[in-house]
Amino acid sequence: MTRQVENHVQIAKRSLDALLKAGADKAQVGLTVSERHEMNIETGELSLLRTTFNNSLHLTAIKQARLGQIGLNQFDSASVEKAVEDVMDIANGAKPDDGHDISEWQPSREFYRGPEKPDLDAMYDRMKSFIATVQQRHPRVVLRQIILSFTRSSSYLLNSNGVNFRTFKGIYHFSAMFSAQEGDKVSSFNGTGLAMKDLDRELIDCGTVDMLLKQSSEQIETYPVKGKFVGDVIVAPDCSNFLYGFLTGMLGDGAIISGTSVYKDKVGELIASPILSLHSRPVSEEIADGYFVTGDGYEAKDSTIVDQGVLKGLLLSLYGSRKTGKERAANGGGAFVVDPGDRSFSDLIKSVKRGVLMDRFSGGAPSKNGDFSGIAKNSYLIEDGEIKCPISESMISGNFVEAFKNITGISRERVDYGYAILPWVAVSGLTISGK
Amino acid sequence: MAVTDLREYSQLFHSYTELRVQENRFLRVTFVKGNNTTNSRSTTGGVSARVYEDGSWGFASSPEVSRDSIISVVKSATDNAEFLNTRQNRGKGPLPVVKACSERDFTTKKPRLRQKEIVDFVREIDDHIASKYPRLQSRTVALDCLDMEKTVLTSDGSLSHSMIPRAYLFFILSLEVDGKPVEIFKSCGGLGQFEDVFDSPSSVFPLIAAQYEHLERKAEGVHADAGVKTCILDAELAGILAHEAIGHTTEADIVMGGSVAARLMDKEVASPLITLVDFANSAQGRDCPVPVYVDDEGTEAKDTVIIDKGILKSFLHNKESAKHFGTEPTGNARAFQFSDEPLIRMRNTAILPGTSKLEDMIASVDDGYYLIRSSNGQADSTSEFMFGIGLGYEIKNGKLGRAIRDTTISGVAYDVLKTVSMVSDEMHWTGAGMCGKKQPIPVGMGGPAVKCRVSIGGR
Repeated sequence: MTRQVENHVQIAKRSLDALLKAGADKAQVGLTVSERHEMNIETGELSLLRTTFNNSLHLTAIKQARLGQIGLNQFDSASVEKAVEDVMDIANGAKPDDGHDISEWQPSREFYRGPEKPDLDAMYDRMKSFIATVQQRHPRVVLRQIILSFTRSSSYLLNSNGVNFRTFKGIYHFSAMFSAQEGDKVSSFNGTGLAMKDLDRELIDCGTVDMLLKQSSEQIETYPVKGKFVGDVIVAPDCSNFLYGFLTGMLGDGAIISGTSVYKDKVGELIASPILSLHSRPVSEEIADGYFVTGDGYEAKDSTIVDQGVLKGLLLSLYGSRKTGKERAANGGGAFVVDPGDRSFSDLIKSVKRGVLMDRFSGGAPSKNGDFSGIAKNSYLIEDGEIKCPISESMISGNFVEAFKNITGISRERVDYGYAILPWVAVSGLTISGK
Repeated sequence: MAVTDLREYSQLFHSYTELRVQENRFLRVTFVKGNNTTNSRSTTGGVSARVYEDGSWGFASSPEVSRDSIISVVKSATDNAEFLNTRQNRGKGPLPVVKACSERDFTTKKPRLRQKEIVDFVREIDDHIASKYPRLQSRTVALDCLDMEKTVLTSDGSLSHSMIPRAYLFFILSLEVDGKPVEIFKSCGGLGQFEDVFDSPSSVFPLIAAQYEHLERKAEGVHADAGVKTCILDAELAGILAHEAIGHTTEADIVMGGSVAARLMDKEVASPLITLVDFANSAQGRDCPVPVYVDDEGTEAKDTVIIDKGILKSFLHNKESAKHFGTEPTGNARAFQFSDEPLIRMRNTAILPGTSKLEDMIASVDDGYYLIRSSNGQADSTSEFMFGIGLGYEIKNGKLGRAIRDTTISGVAYDVLKTVSMVSDEMHWTGAGMCGKKQPIPVGMGGPAVKCRVSIGGR
């Protein structure tokens, strides 16, 4: 154990002891130390290099079923002592709730993933190379904000049941936001993001970056969809949160505890097309940017959320589980992996009589009953099995509960984003309206 | 936050430098169906420096605020600027020199309440809702308070200290209709700490009663008919029109990144009824929801008229974009956390009121919608915008009809604004939202009701 790690462990242990000494029946301490190096391209030029250090200390105290939580980013003794005093005051003011608890004892473990230090020269070279390649391949593209960062973090989670987890993680993140312009015309902005263990590949060759840059140039000239019709929508991997965001939101604590989830009693039932299988794999080697410990103090495990259309479980925390009597999730969600389908992307397109290839969705927050509507951005009209033209001012509306049952195809091709692995998904029966 | 006199560190500055000590303090209390699910406070603070060398920026931050860490942060930011500048000479030259000083502190003068008193306040509201409206399937009452305290010193000699707090209550009420939930969302609060913003739990009961009435009508509501419609956007909604649809397209970094507004300066972009202002700190004799006096680059914040009677007149600038466009910085450079660099952000963006009466505006519509409340919104470089609509009504033959279920409106802002034919004489402000652009940041937004034609989603 290095001196630095030993120091962090001692701060966490002292904080835990202080909480118990101050009267907490149960206590949890989460401590994280992070260092981030970040290069930024603004309007096509590398303009900013950032180095930031941060700390976080989260204290949880439960006293007579009353919960208090406090967060701070100072580790000095006086700050920690004040935080312990304050969190007990917060707990004393709470309404008692038997749902609050901490995780039971589990064997202590240490987790390691990714490099310990950034390669700043490689980061600089990759960013310069990215600018040059984009200028050469996609001359009409304007790089609005491109960020390449490396974050190294050390996290510790201890509780009064003897839980003791340590996670040491290094990860590169790349995000790109861009549009294209020619004369007075400009495309809708588009963007994507990736997580990477290393910088072995050129940035433009990762994920969907090159494809989306090419599409931006095509989207300088767009056409509104004419009229209103019911058709098929092929949801691109970059737009996947459109689908899975609603589903996973309905499986979490908020929706299940409040009783407003349309899936509250659906575990074990068919909620989606049998061709859909959705997993959450935070500890899998295939996910570069996963996690090993949940926020409520459990070692995370991979899980299947939807297996061939059947809902296998909810995404409840320990609190959500105790409040509802339903099973606690094996992890904290995210790290989504969707099984590949049996058709190629081009076959999915060929199967559409009239519809839209949707790369981005800009919509209002969906209703709890699943109704949604919004604009199909960076998207294309499909007619008679062919991509016809980029579209604008075109709305997509429907209901997510029905949409999951109306999935008609999933592509063999998938995109590895580092934080998720996702295919193209075809959904039928959505309303598409233009001018 | 530890009071720190930063002036002694100016001797460390060898290039253009900003030094900032900042602390953000959050308080959150949430009740979901009577369960006290959140009861927390958190504090995030530290020191940061940003250094400019001939077009290259270096930034560094540390959570520790001490003499050693300040020296280290300034050195690290300087090294970062040099790292880029020695590899790529951008040759951008010096930034505009400005100097401003300010001291503004909105800390309450009242005794601070303990957490228990605040939790009891929220709990009393929750108990009231539970007993008064037993038909509700679910209810959420949440309190969210944020204090942002900053001290900024620049190598140009600017020095400012501010403590800008906000406190908001959020309500989500839900009824079950045919086995599925129908929901309504409402916030209230404003500039100030909890003690200055909220009087007693009963003071929000009339607002809750009004929301329950809307919810009952929404539960019996219909889906909007998709298509381009004549709509009255309520004053409550106009702020997000000002912010999302127009404001973002005029942020100078977005303009340089390809916004359609780049080619519209001094051109007609809206009806002559539209004047749009990004207020710095006060409007119509009152403090704005998010007052900014000196921004995080040390520039005095001044009101910026973006659209004057339909003509695009100004973009929103930081020092670097002002230099690029050959104009003055407008005081829009703002950072959220101590570890964030300042970005061009709106402050309090509002459409100015007109002369029409809301009831006359509704009466003037034969077949359309009266849209009251937004759930979220998004902008685009093309000025194509989208807002989620959480509350609205049909208008048939000049009269309000059935409520509508959640939907979305969209349009190309500079086209929609040209269709504005009436603007009401009232003004509504809110500062409950967070704007997202690399970092979140509190913003104020406001406006009157406007009559226009927009696309509405539905079935």
